[in-house]
Amino acid sequence: MNAVTIQELSKTYPGGKEALKQLSLSLSAGEVFGFLGPNGAGKTTTVKLLTGALAPSGGHCDIMGVNPNAQPEQAHLLSGIVTEHAQMYDTLTGLENLIFYAAAFGLEAKEGKQRGESLLRELELTEAKDRKLATYSTGMRQRLSLARALLHRPKVLFLDEPTSGLDPESAQNVNQMIRDLARKEGITVFLCTHQLRYAQEICTRYGLINRGSLLASGTIEELRARVFNSKSLHICASAVPEKLNFVKCGAGEFETRIHDKKEIPDLVRKIVEAGEDIYSVTLMEPSLEEIYFALTAGRKEDGVI
Amino acid sequence: MKTAMYAIIKKDFRGIAGNRRLFSSLFIVPLVLTIVLPSVFVITIHFVPDDPDIAKMLSLLPEGARMESMELTVSGMILNYILPVFFLVIPIMAASIMAASAFVGEKERHTLETLLYCPLTLKQIFQAKVWASFLLSMLVSLISFTAMILVIETELFLLSGRLLIPGVSWLVVMLLLSPAISLIAVTLIVRESAKAQSVEESQQAAVFLIIPVILLVAGQFTGLLLMSVWILLGLGVVCAVLAWILLQKSTGRFTYEKLLQ
Repeated sequence: MNAVTIQELSKTYPGGKEALKQLSLSLSAGEVFGFLGPNGAGKTTTVKLLTGALAPSGGHCDIMGVNPNAQPEQAHLLSGIVTEHAQMYDTLTGLENLIFYAAAFGLEAKEGKQRGESLLRELELTEAKDRKLATYSTGMRQRLSLARALLHRPKVLFLDEPTSGLDPESAQNVNQMIRDLARKEGITVFLCTHQLRYAQEICTRYGLINRGSLLASGTIEELRARVFNSKSLHICASAVPEKLNFVKCGAGEFETRIHDKKEIPDLVRKIVEAGEDIYSVTLMEPSLEEIYFALTAGRKEDGVI
Repeated sequence: MKTAMYAIIKKDFRGIAGNRRLFSSLFIVPLVLTIVLPSVFVITIHFVPDDPDIAKMLSLLPEGARMESMELTVSGMILNYILPVFFLVIPIMAASIMAASAFVGEKERHTLETLLYCPLTLKQIFQAKVWASFLLSMLVSLISFTAMILVIETELFLLSGRLLIPGVSWLVVMLLLSPAISLIAVTLIVRESAKAQSVEESQQAAVFLIIPVILLVAGQFTGLLLMSVWILLGLGVVCAVLAWILLQKSTGRFTYEKLLQ
């Protein structure tokens, strides 16, 4: 069974704004799915539809077979949600907040406290556990929200910009935690972000969205193959035979486009056979950022998109 | 999901207790209505000379309502006919302080979305919010009643050497009518709070609920509604049934989307 299934999901707000247009996606268990797009692309709307906070205008979605629109409370038991607007109580301490939400999720008082303390430890918030939330920095609040979302051991985690406001060290820590959750506990992560480099660090599959429409989805290799039908090969050598069609791009640096990495050994062999020395060979793979910009700009290489 | 609802009630209670401004305003109205005003009545009755007009009016009372002195008879009337109406005002006012911010307060603090992501139905969240405000109002009401009886009896004992036994109508008011009217008010205020965009807007809507009760107070002072225990009991039962229906039906049109707007 898919952890998350979305079929032709649409949302038009009462004002007439079409925030989501017939989105179809599915996530397998244990995947870290990066849902990427600029602000206003429809990422948060999708999360709200998947968590039952919004009713769809068309289509269907479910979390492990549970329709969040029909049975939101069942869907909430299966999912942990971290969004910018889901804050906690400033008048309570970090630990008191977690104890309250643990009870709201039906955990016994003792179990809730233990679980809260263990998550605070994992997210390096133990020292601040007895401080009122009002004194927490943005990064600490963000980490506490993650702890809150994990209290009831959800099967699916929805994270909307989870590392915004985090310093690099905390962001790395949170990334590691998300990766471990997926790998060791089989939690499916639906991660919305516009920070593409960050997404590339932890996601196993991606969906790129703009103006409510899904531009493409797949693993990074699939996206590369879909958007670019050739790759750039960069070679540092004493010289390269002219017939190999390399372009000189610096002193002793040459570049050419290839369609498959299997072409590399043959090219290298030919350069060596011509009596030249090779110092380095680099296959330049397009980054997620390049793929994204190619898609949003509608750039098509050889009409592949 | 009793644990979850209990957690929300406990959290809301703590929220009020931790807010000194709200907490003090909770006790100002009860203090005036149950300590200051009754004391003024008791002391005034003791020190004013015997008025023939009042004596004439008291002679119209049934035999059972008359007591050994005019002072005790008037004090008894105030205790059993005027003061119970205040116990319709107190729970509504106490509840409105908490109920008005039930949903919209969470919305303003950006905690409503988090609360809605808990595995509770909207009806359960709504009912938890109603119970929190209702229990608070009943607590304030009970404390006010105890304080009022202690103060009045002490004053009467010191001034006339006698004690007054509260009438049966108090039982009906405290155990049925006051809780039922309070529950109706709380349910309506919490429902308004879910629609409002700010705590102020929600409180303004709550003020209108006080008006009928204030009219009742005025009526009671002018002698229009000297209700018998049986009428009070009947009224109490009707209000309790109405409160239960309101509590069950109020969440019918609520959706997550409307609440988060």
